[in-house]
Amino acid sequence: MDGIHDLGGMHGFGPVPIEQDEPVFHEPWEGRVWVMAGRVIGQTTIDRFRYAIEQMPASLYLTSSYYERWLWAIERLALEQGLLDGPAGGPSPSRPPLGGPLPEGSFKTGDQVRVANRVTDDHCRVPRYLRRQVGRIERVACAWPNPGQSAASGVYGEPELVYTVMFSGRTLFGPPADHVVSADLGESDLEEA
Amino acid sequence: MSEMTPAQRAEILESRLSEHGHTSPEDVDAAIARSESPSGDQPSTALGARVVARAWCDEEFRDRLLAHPVSTLSEFAPQSVPIAVLADTPTVHHVIVCTLCSCYPSGLLGNPPTWYKSFEYRSRVVREPRVVLAEFGTYIEPDVEIRVHDSTAEQRYLVLPMRPLGTDGWNEGRLASLVTRNSMIGTGHPRVPE
Repeated sequence: MDGIHDLGGMHGFGPVPIEQDEPVFHEPWEGRVWVMAGRVIGQTTIDRFRYAIEQMPASLYLTSSYYERWLWAIERLALEQGLLDGPAGGPSPSRPPLGGPLPEGSFKTGDQVRVANRVTDDHCRVPRYLRRQVGRIERVACAWPNPGQSAASGVYGEPELVYTVMFSGRTLFGPPADHVVSADLGESDLEEA
Repeated sequence: MSEMTPAQRAEILESRLSEHGHTSPEDVDAAIARSESPSGDQPSTALGARVVARAWCDEEFRDRLLAHPVSTLSEFAPQSVPIAVLADTPTVHHVIVCTLCSCYPSGLLGNPPTWYKSFEYRSRVVREPRVVLAEFGTYIEPDVEIRVHDSTAEQRYLVLPMRPLGTDGWNEGRLASLVTRNSMIGTGHPRVPE
């Protein structure tokens, strides 16, 4: 979805707030939200949790701290899962095993690919700044279920191939950029260039 | 709800979850304590520093870490998601970000710092990494290519910084004392030996 969470490349934000020797949690409630989030996310997919945060109104997102955004999301997910009203809560969706055999993919290292421009209000892990851009496959990153489907269904489906794709910073952002940007994009987010 | 503080809302949520057995105050306390004071085999900057120091000392380990990061890092802490290790070289400097949320190599390094989760870092480092790194006091030579890795999928990243000069003959423990959290994310360099 074309949400406020999709911050990459935006102008308008100031210097990075760097705090020396910061504590893990600044307020006791932050730690409690962090632990509760683990329980709530365990009942669904990490993608559905991210998608829940993306539902925040843009102005609220920008004025909320990190753990305030988590709290907002798990209040809704816990309600959706029935955890506030009873002992419900089915088994945790099983996560895809690590190191399993890789599915077939359409691309190989060195291929030029174009990032698809698929904008719906579903959950999507293609940042706005990469849509329609052409990059080069650096390598296969991993196999993982499609994030949009995992967010919609709350369970992990069949893994698809995920590629690390390299882009020219200058092409994305213009001079004087001279860096490289990489992103990990699924088979279904890429087209032949 | 919007008139309550986050602390009040968190308290209500916890009480409802506890009431139905989904959490208990003791379990929450214990998990927070582990996160704030991680022991040796729990994810933390110190655990990451041990991995980096070993890679600096042991060529065979370094090769394994780069070729098979999940199984190699599992020797230190259980890994639940794919992870890639990016080795800095004299011509390439790696930096990690997650522009869409705040994906971080938590399975090795523990909870991320606030700056990593900030709108400022997430928006700017993909566009102007040299400027952002300078805000950390980290200057990258113009002839060194910066590669910014946006953690857009379930794979996490860890930067393997270059071993500082002047550390010949140092053992792992001493080397680990030079490894900073930011040097494993790419916004800093390891400490310079005294």
